[in-house]
Amino acid sequence: MQLIIQDLNKTYSNGVQALKDVTLTINQGMFGLLGPNGAGKSSLMRTIATLQEADSGSIQLGDIDVLKQKEEVRKTLGYLPQEFGVYPKVDAITLLDHLAVLKGLVNKSERKQVVEALLQKTNLWAARTKNLGGYSGGMKQRFGIAQALLANPRLIIVDEPTAGLDPAERNRFLNLLSELGENTIVILSTHIVEDVKELCTDMAIINKGQVLYKGGPLDAIAEVKGRVWSKRIAKVDLDEYRKNFNIISERLIAGRPEITVLSEAQPDASFIQQAADLEDVYFSQIFNSTKETANV
Amino acid sequence: MLKEIFLFELSYRKKRAAHYIYFFIIFLLCYFAVASPIVSIGGAVGQIKPNAPYVIAQMTLIMSFALMMITSAIMGVAIVRDFDHNTEAILFSTPMKKIHYLLGRFGGSFIVLILVYSGIWLGLMTGFAIGKFMPWEVDWKTKEILPFNAWTYFQPFLYYTVSNLFIMGSLFFMAGALGRKSIVIYTQGIILLILYSIADSFLADVEWKETAALLDPFGSQTFEYVTRYWTPAEKNTQLLPLEGVMLYNRLIWLSVGVGALVVTYYGFSFNVVRNSLLRKKPTPLTRDLPKSTDVSIPKSVQVINSVTYIKQLIKLSVFYFKTVIKEIPFIAILLTGMLLLIVEAFSMNKIYGTSSYPTTYSVVNLLDGFTLFFLIIAIFYSGELVWKERSVNFNLILDAMPMPSFVALLSKFFGLVFIYVGMLFILILCGVTIQASYGYFKFELPIYFESLYTSTLSFLMLYTLLAFFIQVLVNNKFLGFALCIVFFIIRGVLGELGLEHNLWRFASGNLGTFSDMNVYGHFVTPFSWFKLYWFALSMLLFVVAVVFSVRGSEAVMKMRWKTGKLRLNRSVLIFAFAVAAVFLFSGFYIYYNTTVVNKFVKSDDREDQQEQYELKLKKYEFLPQPRIVETKLKVDIYPYDRDFIAEGYYWLKNKTSNPIPEIHVQQSADEQISIDYLKFSKEAKVKQTFENFKYYIYELSTPLAPGDSIRMNFKTTFNTRGFEQGGSNTNVVFNGTFFNNQYFPSLGYNSDFELSDDDERKKRKLKEKERMMERNDSRGTAQNLLGDDADRIRFEMEMSTSGDQIAIAPGYLQKEWKKDGRNYFSYKMDAPMLNFYSMVSAKYAVKRDTWNDINLEIYYHAGHEYNLDKMMTGIKDALAYYSKNFSPYQYRQVRIMEFPRYATFAQSFANTIPFSEGIGFIAKVDDPEKDIDYVYYVTAHEVAHQWWAHQVAEAGVKGNAMLSESMSQYSALMVLKHKFTPEILEKYLKYELDTYLGGRAFERKKEQPLEFVEGQGYIHYNKASLVFFALQDYIGEDSVNAAFRRYNATWKFKDAPYPTSADLLKEIKKVTPDSLKYIIHDMFETITMFENKTTEATYKELAKDNFEVTLKVSAEKMRADSTGLESPIAINDWIDIGVYGKNKAGKDSLLYLKKHKINQKENTFTIQVKSKPKRGGIDPLHKLIDRHSDDNSKGLTKIDLAKKN
Repeated sequence: MQLIIQDLNKTYSNGVQALKDVTLTINQGMFGLLGPNGAGKSSLMRTIATLQEADSGSIQLGDIDVLKQKEEVRKTLGYLPQEFGVYPKVDAITLLDHLAVLKGLVNKSERKQVVEALLQKTNLWAARTKNLGGYSGGMKQRFGIAQALLANPRLIIVDEPTAGLDPAERNRFLNLLSELGENTIVILSTHIVEDVKELCTDMAIINKGQVLYKGGPLDAIAEVKGRVWSKRIAKVDLDEYRKNFNIISERLIAGRPEITVLSEAQPDASFIQQAADLEDVYFSQIFNSTKETANV
Repeated sequence: MLKEIFLFELSYRKKRAAHYIYFFIIFLLCYFAVASPIVSIGGAVGQIKPNAPYVIAQMTLIMSFALMMITSAIMGVAIVRDFDHNTEAILFSTPMKKIHYLLGRFGGSFIVLILVYSGIWLGLMTGFAIGKFMPWEVDWKTKEILPFNAWTYFQPFLYYTVSNLFIMGSLFFMAGALGRKSIVIYTQGIILLILYSIADSFLADVEWKETAALLDPFGSQTFEYVTRYWTPAEKNTQLLPLEGVMLYNRLIWLSVGVGALVVTYYGFSFNVVRNSLLRKKPTPLTRDLPKSTDVSIPKSVQVINSVTYIKQLIKLSVFYFKTVIKEIPFIAILLTGMLLLIVEAFSMNKIYGTSSYPTTYSVVNLLDGFTLFFLIIAIFYSGELVWKERSVNFNLILDAMPMPSFVALLSKFFGLVFIYVGMLFILILCGVTIQASYGYFKFELPIYFESLYTSTLSFLMLYTLLAFFIQVLVNNKFLGFALCIVFFIIRGVLGELGLEHNLWRFASGNLGTFSDMNVYGHFVTPFSWFKLYWFALSMLLFVVAVVFSVRGSEAVMKMRWKTGKLRLNRSVLIFAFAVAAVFLFSGFYIYYNTTVVNKFVKSDDREDQQEQYELKLKKYEFLPQPRIVETKLKVDIYPYDRDFIAEGYYWLKNKTSNPIPEIHVQQSADEQISIDYLKFSKEAKVKQTFENFKYYIYELSTPLAPGDSIRMNFKTTFNTRGFEQGGSNTNVVFNGTFFNNQYFPSLGYNSDFELSDDDERKKRKLKEKERMMERNDSRGTAQNLLGDDADRIRFEMEMSTSGDQIAIAPGYLQKEWKKDGRNYFSYKMDAPMLNFYSMVSAKYAVKRDTWNDINLEIYYHAGHEYNLDKMMTGIKDALAYYSKNFSPYQYRQVRIMEFPRYATFAQSFANTIPFSEGIGFIAKVDDPEKDIDYVYYVTAHEVAHQWWAHQVAEAGVKGNAMLSESMSQYSALMVLKHKFTPEILEKYLKYELDTYLGGRAFERKKEQPLEFVEGQGYIHYNKASLVFFALQDYIGEDSVNAAFRRYNATWKFKDAPYPTSADLLKEIKKVTPDSLKYIIHDMFETITMFENKTTEATYKELAKDNFEVTLKVSAEKMRADSTGLESPIAINDWIDIGVYGKNKAGKDSLLYLKKHKINQKENTFTIQVKSKPKRGGIDPLHKLIDRHSDDNSKGLTKIDLAKKN
């Protein structure tokens, strides 16, 4: 089964164009959708999750027309929105069981098994009778994934699931995701490059509603291999360097800026070549797209 | 710092559009209340000027709390805002002092609140300034209004609105600051409203009025209480003073307001996370270790079909049900509702302070008063549930679930329906408990369920569906609430907009009045059709709501339609068309029944017709006509079809001295009446017909010579077809038919059909209408109280009814038989009687007795045996007293028959007294020492009419009711006096005084002295009780009876001319000593008021068993004109001075009571008594009419003699 997105466009009523001719083909396995805040990731995911309309374009999941046959999509969908709350006065097992019914698990004993297994899987078993109002961010997030996994979905959409998690929680969460069956399409949106690098076989980078890159993470890294240079500079020189070099990222190391530059050749002797990383791909893509817009 | 916070609050509010909107809402409401007929807030009628200070104060006061939503929105958010916008953490970590923060926010908001509410006086002022020039209709356009006086507007605003705003404002501020949630604020608002309702229900009872006045947080009941006796003249001139009860009420509630602020100060904490009072803090969860990732998720079978949908629906419905019942506000509303129910149960069905048996229908009636609260719950929780997921941000997860959109919305609806069902069940349990606490165990559970689970539940469901529709379409919770309320208000004024038919009124159709006799009667059919109609519409709206409901993140209408279209599958479309078809069909069916089969007349059209009747036919009003001298009719009642046929004849006799060429017949204007034929025994032809008015002029070929008679044969059918839209005829019903001869033809013009409301007449340029003819009008004295159709008639009637009912008419039963499964009765009167007869038919049980060979019968509904003995004793005691003191009883029987409680009165026909089930049959007189036995009293009053109306019929002129009603009041009062204790009598008179003073406050035209009373019940019943009781106290019972006896002897069974009040007063004057003649002038010929008061009351113990009481009393005497304007007159009156104490037996009793001549305002009396005195004062028994009767007597304080030595 494939998810084929073609020429998807969406402009909000306030004039913001959230999606511009988005065309993607997503295969089974983990798919990473990388992009900064406000890139249109959530818009795209909501559209796939039947929760938002597109102005034009099409989405096809197998034989299902996602934009029209919403009910069909929902049957096979597991969706974890970027931000969500819960009914504070309900406990986890009750709510999960409740949602299982809504997912169509009508057999009571079977449902019970699934719900219990998911709670164990997401490490919420001990807290299953606690009201969700008292859950920490990570626990809530795990509850979110538990509900998304109900009824063996074949399309799982998780929107920024690791935002706000501490490193341990994040690891646990990614482990969980990685275990999902091979027969499933999992779309993971994030602005954290590491997430994609660790999990995904396929990915796309998106910014300002446009797909900037699509392909495998390793291919992407290969593309920038040998072109990444960095240098630690003095703060006062930063503006000077910005003018003269294609700086794709800058960060502070022990209080001093380190700039990363993308270049075929060593810009000058003071630059040190870096091993290419997905992050560099990401930054270079974002940098380019921003520059393009700026030039327009 | 305080200043900065305060100013910040002001400038923040200045930028918020909402506050300007609130201001304009208030301004426009007030403006339109004054300058349009659409909005009405209190308002002026009759003699009260449109801009009278009373009217303005009332409007100002009502406006100060009716829009509590606005107050709560402004004051509640002052603090909640920070929590809603999550700014609290930033704010509270600044070095700001708590007191500054709270006071600054409160002060700023409060100033804004006052500015917003200034819309009241601005709106009212503008209304009165320019209302006259509006192009639309304004009630007072043609009237004169009072000159402008700014203080009239500011005084009530400053004293009452500002104080109310402070009280409510601080409470809402507290709720917001401590509850930190909007819902807490709303709940508090609802509780305040309930408190107001409780005060309202207390206000109904004389004994509790003052409590009610103190209890009302808004001061509205206080206003009612303080002004309850204000006459029109006072309402036009007086401002509401801030004193007495009003002052106490304000002080109590202002201190509650201040208290709320203090509590806020101490209770409020800058901690962002706080220890809640109600909820346990969630215990921190132990961090669980990541270990069980090796658990595999079992395969599960997803089944999605219609069975799943049903399961989802049930699951979700139960889930929403549970969510709502866990809400503390919901529990709070429910508990206060139950409290209200219990409080209201105290005053349930009280008449003269005496309660009734808590029959199931009366408890159900109480619950009907809950409509507003039900509505609030329906509107509020509909909004909450529609927004449930979005408010906790769970919507995207739920929206992506594979369930149809209708399940999502429908389950919320069902969740609420479960809530309603449960809530009603709890209320039923409360009702049963109330009944049991009265010691009443006839719980008619079916009646509870039948009315609550049909009428009330459907009301709730319809409004819920509507609220869902509104919430979904406007897609803004608060706008949705506001629109629901606006909708409800508009629904209330549809009539004003010309949409009177119930097909316009959402959720219309009610089960009518329940009666033990007739149960739900014929109301069930229209009720069911109307509900079907509204349910069909609501379901259609619901389908629209489902289509447009927001699923996902799209909120723009265009996008919602795009998604919504996809939901319109075959079954949804079929359902939509089906309900649309039902809606149209039921609408047409109702329309057909109510306006084609039956006639639907708008009130304007009816008034037009009344106007036309008067304009065209008034000229015939005094046209000489023959009089009916004999009536013989055959009346067949078909109770279960609600039909009757009357056939027979009148003998008409020319009693004038001229020949009569034309006979004018006025048929009943009732739409259900049709005339089969009307023929005269002599040749006559129709000369002119006025079909609109059912008025026909017959010309006789040879005029009817003086002294000659003519027979008028006719047949009239009363036919019930289909159903009507509003309250249909309740005289002819399944069980408990009671109608009188108003359905039969009468002679000549009937001035009762004219428009009587002077305001309405003025609008139509008709002359003001006198309510009755002058006392000395010879045309009036030539006819009796029942009109000019007849003097007395010979009467005979054959009746038939269904086989399970008894039919009764005046007269003696001659024969009784059965034919074709129907019961037949033949009645005949052996002496001429008044032209006024009742026809009654019902399934009756009968109780029989005799008194001196007179047959006494009570026809009652089986199950209503409670008070039959009291009634029987009442008849006997009354017959005994009246026979002895006035004249012998003229008949050989007295019959009382129960009729359904659609009307609550008893009425005296010749030897026949229909008596409503609502006023005596279920009365509960527990303690004859404490409760007024009004069953006994009403019985005695009705029996007295056999003398005062049936023996002596009075002239139909001003003062007539003094002769029938007032004399019956006196007669019954004397029977009561000999049966019960003086305390009971005193209690009874206290109610009469209250009703009289309250009645004159609402006089629309002019208050008359008793001798000229013109159909004013508060005078001829209530004032008359007081006047005649005092009269017999002053001149003696025997003297009054002697006067009555002589009046009776002079006028008994006489035809025209008939006696007037002057004839009775002549007799009374004869038995009154000259020294007391002035009281006749005071009591009957003028409106005289007293202001008696005890200012100081002390006593000394002179010796053992010898006490000296000193009373300082003031006495003033006033005359009032017809508007209630009083002027002082010199006092020179005999007034009681009395002292109470314990007698030898240890009971409270009068130690001293004697009339003293009082001829100055301030007086001191020294009285010696033999027992220890307790209270003393002037007119302690309230015999004189005094607006402040509570201060007449006072507790005595002891002055110690020993100290001097």
